[in-house]
Amino acid sequence: MFRSFLSWRYLTARRTNLIGIGGIFIGVFALILILSIMTGFLDESKKAIRRSLSDIIITPAKLDPTVPSDAEPLLSKVRAHPGVAAAAPHLNWFALITLPGNTADAFSERFLSSSEHSETAGVQLVGVDVHTDKRIAAAAACVVPRLFGLDLRPPRIQDEFDTSELLAALSRESKVGAQVANPLFPFAQPPMASTRERPLPAVVLGEQLLYRLNLGRGSQIQLSTGVRDPEAKEWVFNNRRFVVAGSFRSTENDMDLGRIYMEREELADFLGGTQQYSEVLVRLEDYDEDGERICEELRTELAEAGLIAGGYYRAGEVRTWEQYRGNILGAIKNERVLMMIMLSLVLLVAGFTVFAILSMMVTEKRRDIGILAAIGATPKGVLDLFLMIAFWDALIGAALGAIFGTWAALKIDPIERWLSSHLNFWPFPEEGVQIFDRNVYLFDYIPTIVQPYAVAAIVLGAFFCALLFAAIPAFRAARMDPLEALRYE
Amino acid sequence: MSDPVERPADAATPPARPGPDLSSPLPAVAPRVPVISVRGVRKSFKIGDRSLEILHGIDLDLNPGELVALVGSSGAGKSTLLHILGLLDRPTEGQVNVLARDAWSRSIAERAALRNKEIGFVFQFYHLLSELTALENALLPAMIAESRLGYSRRRRDYEGRARELLDRFGMTPRLTHRPPQLSGGEKQRVAMARALLHNPKVLLADEPTGNLDSATGEKVLELLFEEQKRREFTMVLVTHDERIARLCRRTLHMEDGEIQADSTVPVPD
Ligand SMILES: Nc1ncnc2c1ncn2[C@@H]1O[C@H](COP(=O)(O)OP(=O)(O)OP(=O)(O)O)[C@@H](O)[C@H]1O
Ligand SMILES: [Mg+2]
Repeated sequence: MFRSFLSWRYLTARRTNLIGIGGIFIGVFALILILSIMTGFLDESKKAIRRSLSDIIITPAKLDPTVPSDAEPLLSKVRAHPGVAAAAPHLNWFALITLPGNTADAFSERFLSSSEHSETAGVQLVGVDVHTDKRIAAAAACVVPRLFGLDLRPPRIQDEFDTSELLAALSRESKVGAQVANPLFPFAQPPMASTRERPLPAVVLGEQLLYRLNLGRGSQIQLSTGVRDPEAKEWVFNNRRFVVAGSFRSTENDMDLGRIYMEREELADFLGGTQQYSEVLVRLEDYDEDGERICEELRTELAEAGLIAGGYYRAGEVRTWEQYRGNILGAIKNERVLMMIMLSLVLLVAGFTVFAILSMMVTEKRRDIGILAAIGATPKGVLDLFLMIAFWDALIGAALGAIFGTWAALKIDPIERWLSSHLNFWPFPEEGVQIFDRNVYLFDYIPTIVQPYAVAAIVLGAFFCALLFAAIPAFRAARMDPLEALRYE
Repeated sequence: MSDPVERPADAATPPARPGPDLSSPLPAVAPRVPVISVRGVRKSFKIGDRSLEILHGIDLDLNPGELVALVGSSGAGKSTLLHILGLLDRPTEGQVNVLARDAWSRSIAERAALRNKEIGFVFQFYHLLSELTALENALLPAMIAESRLGYSRRRRDYEGRARELLDRFGMTPRLTHRPPQLSGGEKQRVAMARALLHNPKVLLADEPTGNLDSATGEKVLELLFEEQKRREFTMVLVTHDERIARLCRRTLHMEDGEIQADSTVPVPD
């Protein structure tokens, strides 16, 4: 019994033990805080790497003439899979953007030749299914049941639109752009569109593009593109005017600078009906659960049906978003593991403080060790006594470190703000320091994720380090000759 | 904290005696069987690569209830012998029997239990733990002997014993004081209470008054003799003081690592 009693007494009687506790506290605190922030950053960058990618991306080999040009067979096959929540076809094409009208013509010419603006001249057109009319009809059909308290909504149509990231991009607040009136109906005619006999088809531009071209809702643009005329068997150029319904803000600059969304039917029509879709985006019921498996199933299923197969030029592909961005994700995972290893050094340092303090203590308490042996303590008892001091160090230090580390990780944003505004005394600049520059990142907060298992692992690691390092002086104490220890004054 | 090592030792030695019930006689140890008996004990120390023999073959029996003075000039080897009797040091040669069993053929834990329960030590320099109060110091042997559970179960008993001992030594007002706050005489009283907590069969005292002025020393010794009379434990008292030695019935005279004279004064009836 003397072990727990005496170890605690030694711990409280000697201030130097605070160093051991402090070492472990700082180690655990720093490790939890840093790891939480890094996990947060990595998670954010993982999201950023994912960007607009849906769970599974199906890219048929369009160069293969045997692959059907219509999306319908592929879509129905994919939607039939039980794990699939929604599937949406996208049609991608490229075009040149100019501004129509007498005065604007000259301007268009100028910006095509301007090196600064030429990057905005070539744009990517993306046709998406929004099903405006179907959705309006469906929404109307839901009005009456809703009156009776039934939350009825047409799932498939809604889900398909959600599958493309356009909805999120439309809903995101935009500083330089012009948001559409209703993100659910992005291609509705803008109110300021000039009244004509036939309204122009509506498009949604990336906010940077809108800003650079000095456009607004209701402005007109002209898109020019080349398409192949199947009858004449040659390339012809097509021009069409569109009205700007608004802008979107994605999380990627190049997308905001060079992408234009419109209804897929409209784009197909613009291309003379030769192209229907380029890829199919799939959202699963539960990607984390069985994304890889479903992806594999879809791949074999679609390949057997000849819906993606190419072979001659290049095989069509069915990929999860992680496979799509495989190497960058791998690098991130690597980085995490590396960091864990390097940060564990903090625990080693903490363990070393325990070692130093305990070594000091064993020397200082040499006479006590002799006394204990003389009145019947076994070497193992003495060993336990000193290990127990390390145990208390670890217990108190790790508990405080875990509590404060978790707290700081959860409250890092206000803490950083407070520090930034209060560090205005010498030697800091008068206006304070900006510890975290919120303009650098896509997110305007410090992302942290506190993982309970990581906290547990760190606490266990602290215990392990403390006891491991404590074992050296503790063994020295246990092996001490009682008489020699008693002679020590 | 339970202690697997000390348990078997616990079982080997008689269970903690119930309280300081002083009217009851000592547990039966046949009067003829010595508590500690050493045979042919030699002890040499290695100094560099030379070996220096300090004890040259000691034979000695310590009988139950005996009061023995160990005298001799400085450097004769009294402390060395006492450490061997108390199992603090291992003889280079020879046998040390405690309670009729060879102590050095027992396990470490059993030897530790013997030191804890059957042998009490009082040192010249008190050797108290300065982090503990007087009461806690006196209780230390019980804390070492018991598991956490056992200690909390018998805590009242142990505390009662320690308080009573300290009370008899006049330490009641100073129970919560720590050694640095105590005088030398007071420290030695605490050390005596610690040595007697488990009611040991032998008390080994190495110049217990060597560091005290004669008045204080006399008072401390008086208490010690009183306690010896009351409990009838065997006591070996190392001393340089002839007057103190005369108070003991048996006197061992040591010179140059040998017992030169072993005299017992007949009981004056
Ligand atoms: N650990 C040791 N190493 C070497 N020599 C030792 C050791 N311990 C004791 N000695 C020697 O053994 C001899 C006897 O020492 P011991 O302490 O037993 O004498 P003592 O009779 O107790 O003397 P005193 O009355 O001064 O206490 C001394 O010469 C001492 O130098
Ligand atoms: Mg001596």
